[in-house]
Amino acid sequence: MKGSYYLKLLGIMTVLLFTTQVVRAQFTVTGTVTDGSTGEPLIGTTIFDAASETGTSTSIDGTYELELPSGTTTLRFSSVGFVVENIEVSGSDGEEITLDIELKPDVARLGEVVVSGLGTTVERSNLANSVTSISAEEFGGTTQATTLSQGLYGKVTGAEISANSGAPGGGISIRMRGVTTINGSSQPLYIVDGVYYDNSAIPNGSNAVTAAAAGGSSSNQDNPVNRIADLNPDEIKSIEILKGASAAAIYGQRASGGVVLITTKRGNRGGAEYSVSQSFGFTTISKKLGQRTFDVDKAEASFGPTGKTLFEEAASKNRFLDYEELMFGEEGMLSKTTADVSFGNESTSFYISGSVQDDEGIIKTTGYKKQSIRANIDHRFSPKFKVEVSSNYTHSESRRGLTNNDNTGTTFGVSMTATPNFVDLRPDSKGNYPDHPFNGANQLQTRDLFSNGEFVNRVTTSARVNYNVFQNKSSSMDLSFTGGVDFYSQNNKLIFPSELQFERVSGSPGTLIESTSDVLNTNTSLILVHTYTPNRDMTLTSQAGYTSFNNDQNTILTVANDILGSQTNVDQAINLNVNQTKIFQRDRGFFVQEELNYDNTYIVTAGLRGDKSDRNGDVNKMYYYPKASFAWNVSNEDFWDFGKLSNFKLRAAYGQTGNLSNFGAKFTSLGPANIDGLGGVLINNTRGVEDLKPERQAEIEVGFDASTDDGAASFEFTLYQKNIEDMLLQRELEPSTGFSFESFNSGEMRNRGIEIGLNLLPVSTSDVQWSTGINFWKNVSEVTDLPVPAFDVGGFGTSLGVFRIEEGESATQIVGIDPETDSSGNLVYRDGDGNIVSPSEGTPSIITKKLGDGEADFQMSLSNSLSVKNFDFSFLLHWKKGGDNINLTELLYDLNGTTNDYDDTDLEIADFRLEAGGLDATDINSDKRLSLLGVSSDHFVQDASYLKLREIGMYYNLPASIISESTTGIENIRIGVSGNNLITISPYRSYDPEVSNFGNQPIGRGIEVTPFPASRQFYFHFKVEF
Amino acid sequence: MNYIKKMMKSNILVYIGISSMLILGCNILDIEDRPDPNNTELSSVIENPTRSDVNTLVSGTLSGIRTDLAIYYVDVSMVGREIYRFLAAEPRFTGDLLGKENSELDAGSFYTTRPWAAYYTNIRMTNILIEAMNSGAGGLSDAERNGVLGFAKTIKAYEYLLALSLTNENGIRLQNQSDINSVGELLSKSESMDLIASTLDDAYSNLNSAGSEFLFNLPSGFTGFDAPGTFAQFNRGLRARVAAYQQDWSTVLSALNNSFIDAGADLKMGVYYDFTTQPNDVTNPLFANPQSGAGDSWVAHPSWRADAESGDARVDNKIVDRNSAASLDGLTSDDGLNVYKTQTSSIPIIRNAELLLLRAEALAQRNNAGDLDDAEDNLNVIRNAAGLSGFSRGSGGQAAVIDEMLNQRRYELFFEGHRWVDMRRYDRLDELPLDRVGDNVWVSFPIPENENL
Repeated sequence: MKGSYYLKLLGIMTVLLFTTQVVRAQFTVTGTVTDGSTGEPLIGTTIFDAASETGTSTSIDGTYELELPSGTTTLRFSSVGFVVENIEVSGSDGEEITLDIELKPDVARLGEVVVSGLGTTVERSNLANSVTSISAEEFGGTTQATTLSQGLYGKVTGAEISANSGAPGGGISIRMRGVTTINGSSQPLYIVDGVYYDNSAIPNGSNAVTAAAAGGSSSNQDNPVNRIADLNPDEIKSIEILKGASAAAIYGQRASGGVVLITTKRGNRGGAEYSVSQSFGFTTISKKLGQRTFDVDKAEASFGPTGKTLFEEAASKNRFLDYEELMFGEEGMLSKTTADVSFGNESTSFYISGSVQDDEGIIKTTGYKKQSIRANIDHRFSPKFKVEVSSNYTHSESRRGLTNNDNTGTTFGVSMTATPNFVDLRPDSKGNYPDHPFNGANQLQTRDLFSNGEFVNRVTTSARVNYNVFQNKSSSMDLSFTGGVDFYSQNNKLIFPSELQFERVSGSPGTLIESTSDVLNTNTSLILVHTYTPNRDMTLTSQAGYTSFNNDQNTILTVANDILGSQTNVDQAINLNVNQTKIFQRDRGFFVQEELNYDNTYIVTAGLRGDKSDRNGDVNKMYYYPKASFAWNVSNEDFWDFGKLSNFKLRAAYGQTGNLSNFGAKFTSLGPANIDGLGGVLINNTRGVEDLKPERQAEIEVGFDASTDDGAASFEFTLYQKNIEDMLLQRELEPSTGFSFESFNSGEMRNRGIEIGLNLLPVSTSDVQWSTGINFWKNVSEVTDLPVPAFDVGGFGTSLGVFRIEEGESATQIVGIDPETDSSGNLVYRDGDGNIVSPSEGTPSIITKKLGDGEADFQMSLSNSLSVKNFDFSFLLHWKKGGDNINLTELLYDLNGTTNDYDDTDLEIADFRLEAGGLDATDINSDKRLSLLGVSSDHFVQDASYLKLREIGMYYNLPASIISESTTGIENIRIGVSGNNLITISPYRSYDPEVSNFGNQPIGRGIEVTPFPASRQFYFHFKVEF
Repeated sequence: MNYIKKMMKSNILVYIGISSMLILGCNILDIEDRPDPNNTELSSVIENPTRSDVNTLVSGTLSGIRTDLAIYYVDVSMVGREIYRFLAAEPRFTGDLLGKENSELDAGSFYTTRPWAAYYTNIRMTNILIEAMNSGAGGLSDAERNGVLGFAKTIKAYEYLLALSLTNENGIRLQNQSDINSVGELLSKSESMDLIASTLDDAYSNLNSAGSEFLFNLPSGFTGFDAPGTFAQFNRGLRARVAAYQQDWSTVLSALNNSFIDAGADLKMGVYYDFTTQPNDVTNPLFANPQSGAGDSWVAHPSWRADAESGDARVDNKIVDRNSAASLDGLTSDDGLNVYKTQTSSIPIIRNAELLLLRAEALAQRNNAGDLDDAEDNLNVIRNAAGLSGFSRGSGGQAAVIDEMLNQRRYELFFEGHRWVDMRRYDRLDELPLDRVGDNVWVSFPIPENENL
């Protein structure tokens, strides 16, 4: 076999301590490590001598110095993203040798270190799973990600990432490898430097005004932000994404949605390094829908005599207004300033970063502001004892307007649907807003006078303590403790002044909504890792540990009506309603894992996690999640001889994870319901279940990785199948029991998918470097066992299209009503008894059937990065093929007679539907759609395919000759322009195919009701490094 | 094995580390089982309830009977062509409920499922009260327990009756009184009526042995009916309504005799749903500014004004001329609803006017000597109160009295949930006006889809 040397990296610091133990004849190697393609020094390259277990890493200028025992040995130079070099070096006692190394870029990133257990890592070349890693460069190198989520689009194979709306400040849904749950949380677990980073989406309370939940769906439609948005993307060093149970099993009962491990930047050893960067930009609406063009007859037909009068008035002045421009036409300014400093010496290093972000939205008065400061400090008390502290404070303020569904006509979007271009809603010279003649709210007035602010203060701190218990030639033991605290207070303040049109006419004018949530997460883990190397060919790594997780959330929502004057404190009102909600969670668990690495050729891992939680019916019952994996580096075998194809690995992994029930599912309770000053309690509509247990996901993943010896090409291929059983279903109860819902464990669901990644470095010279990557992924789900009747999980009923869980069908199928057809596609008529009859004797038969599917047929992304001398150019294209949305925005425009294509005739409707609706193909689009209400919901279910230019950026690094570092102290100046989502091509008939009226939903996303329109961003960047 | 041996030799600290984790593990892995932090758990009120528990359950029940009341009123009042509920964001009101073109009443849509679910939640509340009385409540006297039972059964029957008003021919489902995990049988319409009638009678006998005072307080909508004796009069009023629906005219009259019927008293006297703006209370969901914009408005069906007798004071009292007509989905009305004038206006459950009209109806139907005259007298109490002259059947006989009775119900009980039910029980739904070609009038709402029947 070749390449037979022992290697196990426990991190540079741990490695360094070995040097102090060595007392014998030594020689010194010094040198500089550079990027072979650009000649730039490579910071943080690891240099390791396996024989003497000695290592170091390069400092900021790429230099290193290493003392080695006299003799001949092989030094291993590894740096993430570069091909590993093994260089033989020999020296005698006291000799000083200079060894400069150029590393070649490696698209396969074999040397990258990836998490393999809670306490251990493994090099990518030995990894048995498909784990996506995203570097800071990939994440934010092309353009500015305003929130974390924005930097992930198109970069994670197997993930379906979708914005919930275009509102500033985030709000995103992530689905890893298909639907993982029906009622649990489908969002991944975020772990930032060891802290369980809370990603709740806490509603702002606007439902008190919009009453969105009062009609067909009682779900919240407040367009909340999920709190991962608080993390400043600029502080991120790398992201690792564990997409399914096979990789995430060690995270146990909370990992079914996958795990996103985020590492923030830390100080480099070496001199101080400063950088300041500034970006400016603007944002505009991605797409306008357009407005209907009226004439006097149309105005009268749709808006009655008032419409006729107003139209004539507008026509006489030729005053037709573009309301999309008035409402969504702002060019919002974007600005972000970041400054950071990194410093380190032998024992201490720190990284401090601060940033100020101020983004405006495309709707006036909306925007997002964030200030963040981070201090990451590492200190080595002794060679055996190291502490890493990470701390971050974030303050954010988002103003997201008032969009999405409502039942009171108050949101911007619903108001817009009732606004023809001939009405004038603009304020007069004194600032008085006219009443909207056709709607309860004047959206211009609401936008200008109301206020919807979300204010978050968040502190996240973690400490990691590593202690080397013992160390000898063949074995070592490390104990590490991690403790994390994540606390935030979210305050939502909505002010609806009494002069607003809809407030003025209400019985108690003026509404104040104030909601405060305090959320505290704490987690600890204690891990013991034992590494044993009986000989150079074999390493055994054992680990065992304990973990705990606590969550407490307390929300107080106060809604005040009938405001005193223009006061904004909730006590300055006549009617008050207060609601308090507490949520808690206590999890305790342990894990053990054993990993065998034989000669870097066979890597076998087996592990077991045990978890308890008070979300389960039996809080002290332990649930176990096993895992096992095998990686075979076939190319390390003697028989392997395929020329340049020097790395080939087969891998297989199996693992299980859990998903906990939602809070409160096990309680049968009565909630407060007062009447006339008498305190009362009323039974809740959820029937508690005492034997709830976690949902279980079992995933098997197989694949292979191949790459060439020069690092110029790599290929990754993965197949997976995951089965979810004991699903946490919320079954709709027969309401005659007095209850509407209960949770229970049952049923099975399956996801199968394929993920392919190809990375190439077609050109790599000192002047020109071009890298390209193509990813392809596809997932197919099926509900394989459902012991209850099919049920709906999102939407407004079958007449408008709804997501339905049904055995044998895709978990994301959309069903709706539609005329029944016979085998030849002809419309079926039935009489009152249900018998098929001739058209003259009956009416068209309307049935419920599958009309679409929320899941994409496949997704692809193409990334390209080209560097020519000092110019860098990169872009990312993302193609989602298939996947349907339920578009109800169009319906509201139709009902109000304002759709842009209201009078067109180009809408194609199948003949049998035309017949059932009594329509003709030449009828106008609005007639077609409206006449089909109650007949077919097919036209609401629309193809949401898209091709998006996610990111594009072009940068120029000022030549060193201009900067003249020696006199200015400036190392680098980089300027550039970039954009986000500049181009979207989609057949979808609304603002943007990425939308979710109900926010983060495992399944029922992609339903839209007058959302905040999507936007695109243009940036100019300027960065100086000292 | 070699590995393990080596490891054991390697360092004593390994043992210390692992064993200390195991010892600690016993405690650090324990989790406390805590109750619902937000709400009262059911088991705590069913087993041995305190007086205070009974009080909060009663208040909660009366609070609960207002849940989704607006949807029920929109359902019956739109199908009965009394009102239009225009809501641009909810096309099903003007589509499905009015039977527009090919649309059907949907067993899965909110207008079917939500009122039904609300009634059965309230029925569960009454069953919890009944169970609490049966299981424990050791500290209560028999009279107090009878008071609670009489209250709970009366409300239970009323809620069953509302559910049946929607589903009509499709019947209703019995709720298992003690087992929250099982479903009850489906009853036919006549079985349902019998159940409601017998539950009311049961309640009446409980109330008759309930002493002079309830142990619980009732909200102001029950003022005058908040002791066992007077609450029993309310119970008999409901019984008279049920008997009329059963066409059991003699029971109507006998029940009315024990009710609060009083031709000399205020027609509004009766029992009401209360609304306040206090914390955790709700406001009247049927109140809306009669002038509010077309996209979200409550208006009277135009026929109500058009068909009214001139001089009927109720017209100007219950509707107002809108400044601009409200139109949606091909429907138009100039008349803003003004029945419930503020957000704290009460909604009648049953009131004196209905009792008088029930008496008129029963008398007219019985049609013994003098009954038609007596029926006219009852009708004229209503007419005179509205500023109308006395009605005389002339040569029209019984049919004319019944027509006038239905007409007075239409105007006196406008937007109180009766019109559709009345026209249906007289098989006159085909007389209701249709506004658009293709509209039709429903006879029954479907049993909700989620009953899985």
